[in-house]
Amino acid sequence: MTALEQPSQPAIRRFPIRPALLVPVAAVGFAALVGLALIASIGVSVPDAIAAFVDGTIGSPYAVAASINRSVAFALVGFGFVLANRANLTNVGGEGQIAVGGIAATAVALYGHVSALPLGLAFILPMLAAVAAGAAWGAIAAVMRVKAGTNEVISTLLLSFIGVWLLYWCVQSPLLLRKPMTSSATLPESLEISDETKLPLLTGDYSFPLHIGLPLTIVIAVVVAVLLSKTELGLRLRAVGLNPVAANRAGMSYARTVIFALASAGALGGLAGALMLLGEQYTLKDGFSSGYGFDGLVAGLLARGSVTGVAAAALLFGFMRSGGINMEMVAAVPTALVVVIQGLIVITLAGATLFIEKWERK
Amino acid sequence: MDSTSNPTATSAEPLLSLQAITKRFGSFTALSDVSLDIRPGEIHCILGENGAGKSTLCNLIFGVHRPDGGAMRYRGAPFHPAGPADALAQGIAMVHQHFSLVSDMTVVDNVLLGRERGILKRHDCAEQLEKLAVEYGLPLDPYAKIEDLSVGERQRVEIVKCLIRSPSLFVLDEPTAVLLPDEITALLDVCRRVASSGRAVVLVTHKLAEIKKIADRVTVLRGGRVVATSSTPAADIDALVRAMIQGNVDTLDSSAASMIGLKPEKAARRDREARTRSEALQIDGLTVRDYQGAMRLDNFTLTVDRGEIVGVAGVEGNGQSELTAVLAGMMTPAGGHVYLGDLELTNSSPKQITAAGVGIVPEDRHAVGCITGMSLAENIYLNRLDEFTRYGFLRRGELENEAAAMMERFDVRARGPGVLFSSLSGGNQQKAVLAREITLPNLTCLVAAQPTRGLDVGAVAAVYGHIRAACERGIAILLVSSELDELLSVADRIVVLYRGRIMGSCAADPAQREAIGAMMAGQAQ
Repeated sequence: MTALEQPSQPAIRRFPIRPALLVPVAAVGFAALVGLALIASIGVSVPDAIAAFVDGTIGSPYAVAASINRSVAFALVGFGFVLANRANLTNVGGEGQIAVGGIAATAVALYGHVSALPLGLAFILPMLAAVAAGAAWGAIAAVMRVKAGTNEVISTLLLSFIGVWLLYWCVQSPLLLRKPMTSSATLPESLEISDETKLPLLTGDYSFPLHIGLPLTIVIAVVVAVLLSKTELGLRLRAVGLNPVAANRAGMSYARTVIFALASAGALGGLAGALMLLGEQYTLKDGFSSGYGFDGLVAGLLARGSVTGVAAAALLFGFMRSGGINMEMVAAVPTALVVVIQGLIVITLAGATLFIEKWERK
Repeated sequence: MDSTSNPTATSAEPLLSLQAITKRFGSFTALSDVSLDIRPGEIHCILGENGAGKSTLCNLIFGVHRPDGGAMRYRGAPFHPAGPADALAQGIAMVHQHFSLVSDMTVVDNVLLGRERGILKRHDCAEQLEKLAVEYGLPLDPYAKIEDLSVGERQRVEIVKCLIRSPSLFVLDEPTAVLLPDEITALLDVCRRVASSGRAVVLVTHKLAEIKKIADRVTVLRGGRVVATSSTPAADIDALVRAMIQGNVDTLDSSAASMIGLKPEKAARRDREARTRSEALQIDGLTVRDYQGAMRLDNFTLTVDRGEIVGVAGVEGNGQSELTAVLAGMMTPAGGHVYLGDLELTNSSPKQITAAGVGIVPEDRHAVGCITGMSLAENIYLNRLDEFTRYGFLRRGELENEAAAMMERFDVRARGPGVLFSSLSGGNQQKAVLAREITLPNLTCLVAAQPTRGLDVGAVAAVYGHIRAACERGIAILLVSSELDELLSVADRIVVLYRGRIMGSCAADPAQREAIGAMMAGQAQ
C-alpha cells in the first residue's frame, strides 16, 4: 500500500470575536436599537425616553438601590433554576414560589408575634417561613415527578397559578390576610408589617434603600456555586441529571435528589418573595409577584448553568425594569415596550450563542 | 489519480472503485487514502476491528457520507451519490448493522415502504417475494408482522428488501452478529448466489471463519487505512489477522482469538474437579413479566459456585436483559428469589446489591453502566463517591489519584483521569466499567452481560484476563453473551435461554456447539 503522509489536522475553528463577552453586549445593543426604533415609531421623543430610562436606573441613589433590590429577587429565582437544572429539572414555578413565600412572610410578620423578638429574629423568622413555604411548593412538584412521573415543567407552572391565586384569596378575604374592613373603600391588601419586621437597610438611609438582601444573596450565590462544583451533592445532581438510570445503578437515590433539587429551587423562590415583601413592599397585595418569577427564570435560562451568568442577567433585568417603569411614568412609553426589548435581548443572545456554536463546529 | 482502474482490461473492470478516499469527522480521520476495487461476481470482504473505518466505508458507498478526498467510480463513471436514495437508484443496496424495519407493519408493507406511491400493489409484491424465496432460499411469509418474526427472519426481510431491487452491488455491514450458527450459513449461501449471478457483494465482518468460508478477496482496514489485501484469503488468514490486529497471533489471548474465529478450541481447560463446591449466587425460580404481562423470564433457576464461570447463551431478546436487570436491582421480578450465600437479594436496591458484593457489568454500557457526560475518574468511582467525600466536599485530587492508579492497573488508556468519559474509545470505557465493578471491596459475584460487545481484540483479551483473574480469586461469575464462541472458550458451564426459559445446560465444550445452537433455536435436547 502506498504510504501517504499523515493529513494535517484541521484547526478547530474559533469565532473571530473574542472574548465571548462581546456577544451579549452586541445582543443587548441590537435589542436596544430596535427598542429605540419602536419608541420613535409610537411618536415619543427618543432623547426624552433615554433620559427617563437613565434617570430610572442610575439617575439617583434611590434608583440604583431599587434596581439592585429587584435584581436580587431575580437572581435568587435564577440560582434556584440553575440548581434544579443541574439535575435536568426545569423549574418554571418561580412566580408561585414567590407568592407563597410572600404569603408566609406576611402571615408570620403580622400575626406571628415576632416583632418583639431580639437578634433580628423579627425579620429572620418571616424569612424562614417563606423559605419553608417555597420549599414545600417546589417539593410538591418533585413528589409528583418521583411518584407519578409528572413533568415538572407542567406541574411547577400550574402550581404557579395556584400560588398566585392563593395570594389573591389571602388578600381578598378578611378571614385570611386582608386588613380589617373599616369601610367599603378598604383596599384588598394586608396591613403594613411592623417596622421591626422590615429588613434593615445597609445604610439606614431611606434615600438609598439597599437592604440586607444583597449581601444575603451574594452569600447564597457563593454557596450555590460551591455546592455545584465542589461537593458530592453537586456531583450527584449532575449524575442524576445526565443519566438517572446509571446514577440509580450506582446507588444514588433519584427521589431524594429530585426532591432536594426542586425544594431548594422553591426555597430560593420563597426567599425572593420574603425579600420583596419585607424589604420593599411591606404590604401584601394582589399582583405581588408581578412577573419576577418569570424574569428570574429567564435569567437562569440565559446563564446556561453559570452562577455568575445568573447574577449578570439578573442585574441587567433589574435595571431594565426600573428604567422601564420610569420611562412609562415620565416619558409615557408603555412598560410593555421594555418587556418587548427584554424578549429581544433573550432571543438575540440565545440566537447568537447558537450561531457561534454552529459556526465553530463546521 | 486514476491508476487502479484500467479501462482496457474488460474482464477485471471493477464495478466500483475507490481511489485514495479520505474521510474526516472533525479532527478525527476515519479513512485515509483508501483505495479498493469491487469486481462483478465477487464477494469482497472488508475485515477490520471496531473503529477501523468499515462502517464509514459502507456509508460512503451508500451515499450517507461524502468523502473529503479521493474519488469513487461506479460502472466506469464518476460516482457521487447524493444520498442513500440516489445510491439505491443506481443499483447499490445495503443491509445495515441495525435493522430499519417498522415492527408493527407486515413484511410486504416494509418492502414496499419508500418504493411506491399512490396505490400499493401488495399482491404483486408478495408474488415477487415468493419468487425471490425460491431463487435464494429465503422463505418468508409476506403477510407476517415484523414483530412476530425472529431476529434471523427480520434480517431476511432486510435482505429481501435489497434483493427485490436487483442491485448490482450488495453491501452487508456486519450482518452475522445477531444470527444463529445455521442462519449464518444460510446468509453466506445467499451471498454466494448473489455473486454467482454476476453481481458483487461487499461483506463487512470481523469474523475470520466467514472469510475463510466465503471471501473471494479481502481488504483489511486498520486505523482507517488499507493495511493488507488478499486474493487468496483462505491461505493468507494468519497474515490477514496479523494485519488486522497488528500483533502476533500466537500471543493472542485464547478467548480473544476464539472471538474472531481463529482458535475455536479452549487453550487450557482449567481443572475444575479439585474445587470444592460452595454456592455463591443462587437464582431460584425467577419470573419476570413485562408491562403488558408477557412472560420475559420464566422460572429461571441457576446456581453459580465460587470460582465458577457460568455462561448464559441465547439469541438476544430471549430474557437475558431481564435477567441482568433483576440481578442489578433495576427491575422487579414477578416471582422467584435471588440469594448471595445466605443473604436474600430479591428486590434489593442497586445500592444494597453493590454493598453485598455483587458487581454488575451491564449490557447497555451507555444507558446503565456509565455517565458519559462526566469524567473518567467520576465514572470509575461512581458507586463509591462517598469514600472521597469529607463534610460533603468531594476530594477531587484524591479521587483522581486513585482513578489514575485504576487506569494503570486496568490499562484504561486516556489522557488523564479528568477527561470526559465520552472521549474514551468503547474498549477503554468498558475496561473502566469493569474496573469499577471488579474492584468492589467485598466482591463475591460478578454479573457481566455482553462484556466484549463492540470491543477490539486487545480489549477483549484484557476483559477476559480480568474476569479469569477474578474467577481464580474465587469470585462467582455469571457471563451473559450472545457470542457462542466467547462462552465456549471462557465459561465452565453453559445454560441456554430461549423465550425466557432455560432450554438446557451443558459443559462449555466446543463439541457441544451443535447442540447449543439447536437449543438457542428453541429445540429441547
